[in-house]
Amino acid sequence: MISSKNEVTQNVAEEIKPGQPLLDLVNVCRDFDKVKVIKNVNLVVKKNEFFTLVGPSGSGKTTILKMLAGMDQPTSGDIVLGSKSISTLPPDKRPTCMVFQFLALFPHMTVGQNIEFPMRVKGMRAEDCIAKAQKLLDLVHLPEDYYNKNVMKCSGGERQRVAIARALAYDSEIILFDEPLSAIDAKLRKTLQKELKDLHRRSGKTFIYITHSLEEAMFMSDRVGVLCKGELKQVGTPEEIYAHPVSRFVAEFIGDVNIFPIRVKPTGGWGSTDFPGQLFKVEPHGDDLEGYIIVRPEALKLVKEGTQVDNVIECKVLNQFSLGSRSQFQLACGKKEITLELPRSEVDLNSVGKTIKIGWNAHDAIFVTE
Amino acid sequence: MTKFSVQKIKSSLTEFISSKGGKCALPVYILLTLGFVAPLFMVLGFSFATPRSFSAFTSFSLDNFIQIFDGSTSVWRSFLWSIALAAFVTAILAVVCYPVAVGMVRIFGSKTSTFISILFVFPLFVSENVRLYGWILFFGKNGVLDGICKLLGFHGPDILFTPGMTAMGLAYSYLPYMLFPVIMGVALVPKDLITAARDLGSSRLRTWWQIELPLAMPGVLIGMLLTFVLATGSMSESKILGGQSIIVITNDIDVSFTFSQNWPQGAALAVVLTLIIGSLTLYAFKKIDLDKLMGRS
Amino acid sequence: MEYTKQGRRNRTLIIIWTIFVIAFIYLPVICDALSSISKGRYFMFPIKKFSLDWWSKTANSIEISSLVSNSLLIAFVVTILSTVIAFCGALAFARFSWKGKKLFQKIILLPVFFPQPVLGLALLLWFNAIGINLSWQTAVFAHLVWITPVVTLVIAIQVYGFDPTLEDAARDLGATPFQIFYRITLPLLWPGVWSGMLFAFLLSWGNFPLSLYTTGVDNTVPKWLYSKMVAGYTPMVPTLGTMSTLGAAGLMLVGALTVYMMHRRQGRA
Repeated sequence: MISSKNEVTQNVAEEIKPGQPLLDLVNVCRDFDKVKVIKNVNLVVKKNEFFTLVGPSGSGKTTILKMLAGMDQPTSGDIVLGSKSISTLPPDKRPTCMVFQFLALFPHMTVGQNIEFPMRVKGMRAEDCIAKAQKLLDLVHLPEDYYNKNVMKCSGGERQRVAIARALAYDSEIILFDEPLSAIDAKLRKTLQKELKDLHRRSGKTFIYITHSLEEAMFMSDRVGVLCKGELKQVGTPEEIYAHPVSRFVAEFIGDVNIFPIRVKPTGGWGSTDFPGQLFKVEPHGDDLEGYIIVRPEALKLVKEGTQVDNVIECKVLNQFSLGSRSQFQLACGKKEITLELPRSEVDLNSVGKTIKIGWNAHDAIFVTE
Repeated sequence: MTKFSVQKIKSSLTEFISSKGGKCALPVYILLTLGFVAPLFMVLGFSFATPRSFSAFTSFSLDNFIQIFDGSTSVWRSFLWSIALAAFVTAILAVVCYPVAVGMVRIFGSKTSTFISILFVFPLFVSENVRLYGWILFFGKNGVLDGICKLLGFHGPDILFTPGMTAMGLAYSYLPYMLFPVIMGVALVPKDLITAARDLGSSRLRTWWQIELPLAMPGVLIGMLLTFVLATGSMSESKILGGQSIIVITNDIDVSFTFSQNWPQGAALAVVLTLIIGSLTLYAFKKIDLDKLMGRS
Repeated sequence: MEYTKQGRRNRTLIIIWTIFVIAFIYLPVICDALSSISKGRYFMFPIKKFSLDWWSKTANSIEISSLVSNSLLIAFVVTILSTVIAFCGALAFARFSWKGKKLFQKIILLPVFFPQPVLGLALLLWFNAIGINLSWQTAVFAHLVWITPVVTLVIAIQVYGFDPTLEDAARDLGATPFQIFYRITLPLLWPGVWSGMLFAFLLSWGNFPLSLYTTGVDNTVPKWLYSKMVAGYTPMVPTLGTMSTLGAAGLMLVGALTVYMMHRRQGRA
């Protein structure tokens, strides 16, 4: 429609059908002064999906985002858009647009001028700019009269929306989000997460989001990639990640889990160094002879007379915490600490100090090798 | 009515003295009252005295001011020279210093930048006469430039003691006064904003013009104000490098006080100069928040 | 950070430009130094014969040693007085929030934004009117008017980085106001105070326009240099100028190193 420098890549992106691979990261590595920050990342982002990269701080997620935006380049490997390599293109020649962590709103401009900036840069006519800016204000649920408001006088949540509207105004195929919700209080964050998810559906753009909160990632995304120390550990839908974590790291990242090392004893049967002398029923995949089993606190059951479970252990109750509708117990079995979660109705209020039996079924535990 | 306002002044004075900031500001206020306000008041008094008298506040006359503007003297030309030179030098220095400031803030590492700042601060500590004299040795007959030209087989240019040389001297003397405020200004611009604008498709030139420059403007303005004011009130450059090829206003003031012994005349000139500089400074100060510029930037 | 060709080119241009500007700033200083070590009565470039004659002549001159001691005395007294006043001023400028702060911040800058020759003349009139004879003491006062605001700004920069809750914490732990000042505030602000002293000393040492009208019979180095420059060339002018430059450089080096060490000790280098 309007001639701009990123026309070529934008066209490439537009020709790809929804659900087809849009961005392809091939063996991407990035070194900073010989320190390997990104190690051989392979990743495909599909068109129109909400993809989230999640990882603890220092895992390299911002570096990957910057390489996607064109503010950094891979040391080796390639970033491919459709079939065109874009690794060396500058930011203004890519079909991407970034929403920054601290938003990077232009403080000397009004809300309207901020949103119009990318359109004016493209050379759009003034009345078209205003009309589109008004539309975008409506899209991000900001009142019309905010058009003339000083952007520095907006609240945190409002600024967030202005930043997103500005990115949408650029009308690029891909919008990149650099933890934009990290500085916002918990309640407002939930609202904005819902809005963002909704906005993704309505705008029909491809969203690539990074965050350190897996909870946030699972809440909004179609697919999630878990990053650790520069390596991509697992990619999948939120359900896949939750139900089938591939490693201890991924499982621990999701939340409280109990992890026991486990191996086949020379005398036969599975044993664990955490519980000497006890045998367990385990469902390994393949012929692995050692690994770890992951048991979620809510998969553990309180063992009473007549309860049928595959594995039972005896623990002492150290502490009890209320989570509202559920209660969490901190237990000890020998030196091993275990976390148990029960619905409120099952809770014995005076259990601290007592010894109880807990257990789990083999198919509720997840077996991983690393 | 009067009683009420006296009380009001009294209460605001008490408030001033009882606040910690007011107490701390007091020594500075005393110094500036005795060393800045009172002397300027004396100058004002002299400017209204009868020409060629040596006491203020005993006579009243507007002759000194009338003389400046009625065209009987050429002093208006000195004013024009001073202001034109200062404006020219300010513009040149803004252009010269901006790229250096960008380099200091964004390109050189913090250690190199500190070292370069020290290199730029240092000349301020050497008497400007000494530094200006170095230019005479450079441009003068048998000087460094002339010597190099002779080695190459032709005569060096004879540009010493011209208005252009005065302008160069002013640019030379006041470069640090432009550079440091501009550095502060450029440092005010978050790097994210530049990246964001580029990411939104804006060209380098446009990003500079619409994002970086407006946000760095407070620093640039302070720098321009400082250089303009100091250059308007400068004297050594035109005397040493300009060789009196042009007379600047401070020179006229100096002559009135020393050679021609007409203190009221000099005082009137000083008052007009102060009015020009003061109104400009006060206008600029109104627009600039110093806390923001100097604080955690 | 810059990956595009244009970005790299701009970067290179800026580096070259900065080097060029620094060269411009130091060129005349080097010319002074060159002429001070050439032998002849008149400066000729290229220099035929080098000698340190003018250095020894200048160093042994009785007139010059009296100039130097005058300049040193003035600079020393100005340093002490201006730093004390400016320290309080900097607290008012940056530390406390009080009603008159914004006004104070602007008033204190006025002398900096004022032409020094005019200020010198105004002070001359003022001293004359209240019957004070010009001497090194009046020069000290004149220097104070201009230098104190500059030192205030220098210290204020340090004060902006000072966390006022430290004082609250000390008070909470039972420290008296004097103890708080002596043990918390002053040590933390010391690098700024030291930088301020350095500025005060060096600015006073090199000042010409204020000294011109306010020293009276007590001549200073910059004033003497100026009178000789106007009267005609003597190689003692660039020689004394170079000596003064080197002295200032040495002092600044020591001072800057001290500030650097202080910052390091505070873990902020």
